[in-house]
Amino acid sequence: MRRSAKYARCTMPADRTRGHNKKKRKPAANKNALAKRSKPPTAKKSIKEPRRPAAKKSARARAAATRRPAVAKDLPKSGRSGANTGKAIVPAPVDEQRVLLRVNKEEHELLVPAHRTLAEVLRDDLHLTGTKESCSEGACGTCTVLIDGLPVRSCLLLAIEAEGKEITTIEGLAEGGKLHPIQEAFVEHFAIQCGFCTPGMILTAKALLDTNPQPTEKEIRDAISGNVCRCTGYAKIVEAIQAASGTPGSR
Amino acid sequence: MHFPRFQLFSPATIEDALSLMSTYGDTLKVLAGGTELAGRMKQRLVSPPYVLTLKRIKGITGIERKREGLVLGATTTLTEIAASQLVKDLFPVVSAAAGEVAAPAIRNVGTIGGNLLQENRCLFYNQSELPRKGLGTCLKLGGKECNAVRGMKRCASVYQGDLAPVLIAVGAKALLKRAGSRRSVPVRELFTGEGKRPLNIAPDELLTEILLPVSSGTSAAAYKRLGLRGSIDYPLASAAVFLAVGANDVVADARVVLGAAGAGPKIVKQASDLITGRRAQDVDESVAQKAASFASKEMEAVDNVILPPTYRRSLAAALARRALDEALRKVREVHHAG
Repeated sequence: MRRSAKYARCTMPADRTRGHNKKKRKPAANKNALAKRSKPPTAKKSIKEPRRPAAKKSARARAAATRRPAVAKDLPKSGRSGANTGKAIVPAPVDEQRVLLRVNKEEHELLVPAHRTLAEVLRDDLHLTGTKESCSEGACGTCTVLIDGLPVRSCLLLAIEAEGKEITTIEGLAEGGKLHPIQEAFVEHFAIQCGFCTPGMILTAKALLDTNPQPTEKEIRDAISGNVCRCTGYAKIVEAIQAASGTPGSR
Repeated sequence: MHFPRFQLFSPATIEDALSLMSTYGDTLKVLAGGTELAGRMKQRLVSPPYVLTLKRIKGITGIERKREGLVLGATTTLTEIAASQLVKDLFPVVSAAAGEVAAPAIRNVGTIGGNLLQENRCLFYNQSELPRKGLGTCLKLGGKECNAVRGMKRCASVYQGDLAPVLIAVGAKALLKRAGSRRSVPVRELFTGEGKRPLNIAPDELLTEILLPVSSGTSAAAYKRLGLRGSIDYPLASAAVFLAVGANDVVADARVVLGAAGAGPKIVKQASDLITGRRAQDVDESVAQKAASFASKEMEAVDNVILPPTYRRSLAAALARRALDEALRKVREVHHAG
């Protein structure tokens, strides 16, 4: 089996560049300067700095990283084809983009590669590790966050696509150290064992109760049907959600 | 699992999207809700250099009643379709089917277009790189033999979309656009019936809307599906039945369409022929059972989607029977009410 030199050094897959693949790393110094200059007045958190040390990148390496494969015919020039061809300007592709993400009512300005998911950015760049990643293909629900109040699989959403939306993670529920009523109910009713499904479950429950304050048991079970729990057998989770909605569960 | 690297296009208009698609051809893949392509990209089944997201384009979403019928924008989410009163009133079977796909969080971003144009599936194909390395390259990935049925030269991958059988049963049409032209085809013609390349759609074509034709007479339809669990899972067998009833209670048109029954949705013509022309009240136990057995015969199944083929064939019959019974019941309700 052919092995590239990269594998000899580390076991990270080549396309995951968390500081292991020096060629593709963006210089960190530039990133902070860019971000600080255009920081919006309402942002409360400082720009998240990457943990990896700044790396110099040769002009050739930079060009290689953004060079498109020469397979497409009649490639339009980036953003300025209107000047030459008379066609309307068609947006250029990006391999990374500066985006403003609004998470739990706070704004974060980040330089995000196109292929990074919201789950990865929340966990790795914003250090909001309440959102979990398990199956990574949308089947388990541990990565569930709320986008404009709707439960969504953050492992399937490109971080760039989350710009302009109201993102709520589990960290956004408690206020001033006081747990949200749904969180309280989960604790009171022993609806948490290992805790891995819990953030996704609670956010899904919140989305349900925000639109349907007095759900039936069937409606609760339908709402959480996309959140897998391997520990509890769901009974206590359903009870907790019923309790949080003010409807006492049947025993 | 991580996405492979790619360059992202986020056009704001359909025209821009079509222009990009015609320029970049098959080096570009279209991302709608991201619930289907994402999984395949993460497993390295496909690693397009360019991805085009439809999320900024407004003209291809939404539900509208037009003269020709009910028009569903291709990027309308399944949640919107399931909740729409307009769809519930005119095509309750479409609303019901949309509400049964996967799970709520998937439906919140998954689109009807994406669900319709999903890639075929197979336990041996939908794996990440490491298990596939051990199996060897299968037909679908350009190899010489199927991995699900060793030595077979025909791809056994299964089309497991929920909406397709329903849309075909109600006679829906798909509008496909490319730069400079468009074509409207019945949804059934979108499928090649062949596992390696299941869809009749070119890399530079974009599905923009689906038209559900509203007829004046009495009609009823039903969709029954079964997955391994009550939620999340793809259907392992499914059946959509549509009945149009004319004067004197005679069935003018009957359509039985199976899902998860082979490389594409399967139209059970023998069941249609059996029922069409009879009076709805004459479709009794023996006729219904015969129709269901035709469904079982039409179902193609090999051991590549978790449940054994024999069981799935029985499922096809049982689900076709239940869908038929429900459609007949709805027809009788309308007649008694009217």
